Amino acid sequence: MRLIWWLATVVVVSLLGIVLSQNRALDPVQNLSLTVSAPAASGLRDAARPVDDLFQGITDRGDIVRENRDLREQIEELQQALAERQDAEQRAAELEEALGFKQGRPEDQLLAANVVAEDTSGLKRMIAIDRGLNDGVDEGMVILSRGGNLVGTVSRAYEDFAWVRLITDPDSAVNAQVVPGPSPAQGAATGGQVTPSPAPSPAPSPGVASPAPTPAPTPAPEANAAVRGVAEGDLRRGLLLDLLPPDSTLAEGSLVTTSGLGGNYPRALLIGSVEAVEQRPQSPFTRATLKAAVNLSALDTVLVLISFRPARLTEQ
Amino acid sequence: MRYILALVAAAFVAILNVSVMPYVEILGVAPDLVLIFAASWTVVRGDEEGAIVVPVAGFMRDLATSDPLGTSALALAPVVLLAAAARLRAMDTEFVPTVAVVASGSLAYGIISMTVLAATGQTVLLSDSVSRVVLPACLVNAVFTPLVYLPIHTLSAQRRSGAIGTRRLTSPL
Repeated sequence: MRLIWWLATVVVVSLLGIVLSQNRALDPVQNLSLTVSAPAASGLRDAARPVDDLFQGITDRGDIVRENRDLREQIEELQQALAERQDAEQRAAELEEALGFKQGRPEDQLLAANVVAEDTSGLKRMIAIDRGLNDGVDEGMVILSRGGNLVGTVSRAYEDFAWVRLITDPDSAVNAQVVPGPSPAQGAATGGQVTPSPAPSPAPSPGVASPAPTPAPTPAPEANAAVRGVAEGDLRRGLLLDLLPPDSTLAEGSLVTTSGLGGNYPRALLIGSVEAVEQRPQSPFTRATLKAAVNLSALDTVLVLISFRPARLTEQ
Repeated sequence: MRYILALVAAAFVAILNVSVMPYVEILGVAPDLVLIFAASWTVVRGDEEGAIVVPVAGFMRDLATSDPLGTSALALAPVVLLAAAARLRAMDTEFVPTVAVVASGSLAYGIISMTVLAATGQTVLLSDSVSRVVLPACLVNAVFTPLVYLPIHTLSAQRRSGAIGTRRLTSPL
């Protein structure tokens, strides 16, 4: 009987806490707890890095892992540069068609932040950073890696800290596009990974002399158009690119960037590359598994893109 | 005094959980030291202390993570009931019941956490969450139980020895 009363009390108090938390009434408490625990957590994270190396392999493998991490960062930076270049080429082609269009993205202003904690529940993919409302960070802001690739968005901002929802979180959805043009994995020989199906040609009307067959016009702009989808977090596969047109053909290694649609993310931030394509006959959409450009499990420092105001914040 | 010790230990374990444990990922999940701590403390030191320590550990965990405050206290509550049930079956060792409570408590914890997350509007894919997170967590937490259980058992043995004197102490395992 005593246990039942205890359980009832715990349930009531917990539910009250959950409701208050959802209404943001307990934000000062959570900010205070992070303020107190962050130095210890940061110190422990630093101290645990050798444990990380040890845990991943045997003694000497730590150096290899570190070197590998550095190389991955370099690859990440190069991929970002390549994605930007490919996107710039595409943009140039578009601008040639639409003279007068002004690209309205100001110089990026970035704020460096340290990762102080990670959510280990397994049901979410979140990290805590040591920047908050007092530093100009707000919910919805975009978080980048040191190499400038997409990491996630601020999901909850306290005064001095913020929780960041990683792109692999099941609640994360980013409007994305597969960058047209040669991918690093395929090389220039493969070219055009994106092959939209050509529009059906109209049948000739009876009685009308059809002109001599001419070579089909080169569908340059269309063939070079980006295939758009939504990059979603997934507990099983990490990162998925869903809602792709059913007739889209993707090559493994194709780069995927933000499309800028919806206004919540700037255009041309590298998300990752296509790892595997899943054609589902029963589904109206094609889906692909992505390999994130950033090693999200080894983030120490991230950048908050404070110059970009997501649509959600701009509307307020 | 014992509750202050439990509070400090719970806070330390909660910080360890978000700082060091992400590096120790097995089967795609990190061991939940707070859950292991709560279960070990309750089995070794009794339901009376567990009834205080478990919710405190839960709140400590929530303060260190992005969960709404109260989620872990709620999700850890079954640990006390499971420990009480485990005590009904007399055994020479406390280790085996602790492992059993950790494993079953992990299952209950996962299910309640998913329910709270879903109720607060977050995406929870049941099959993926159970197969990728909850079930591996039961195994991983059980494997990591000695890491937390042994210090608590040792501390409790010293306390019992000081209080009761010549009482025979059982093996930690």
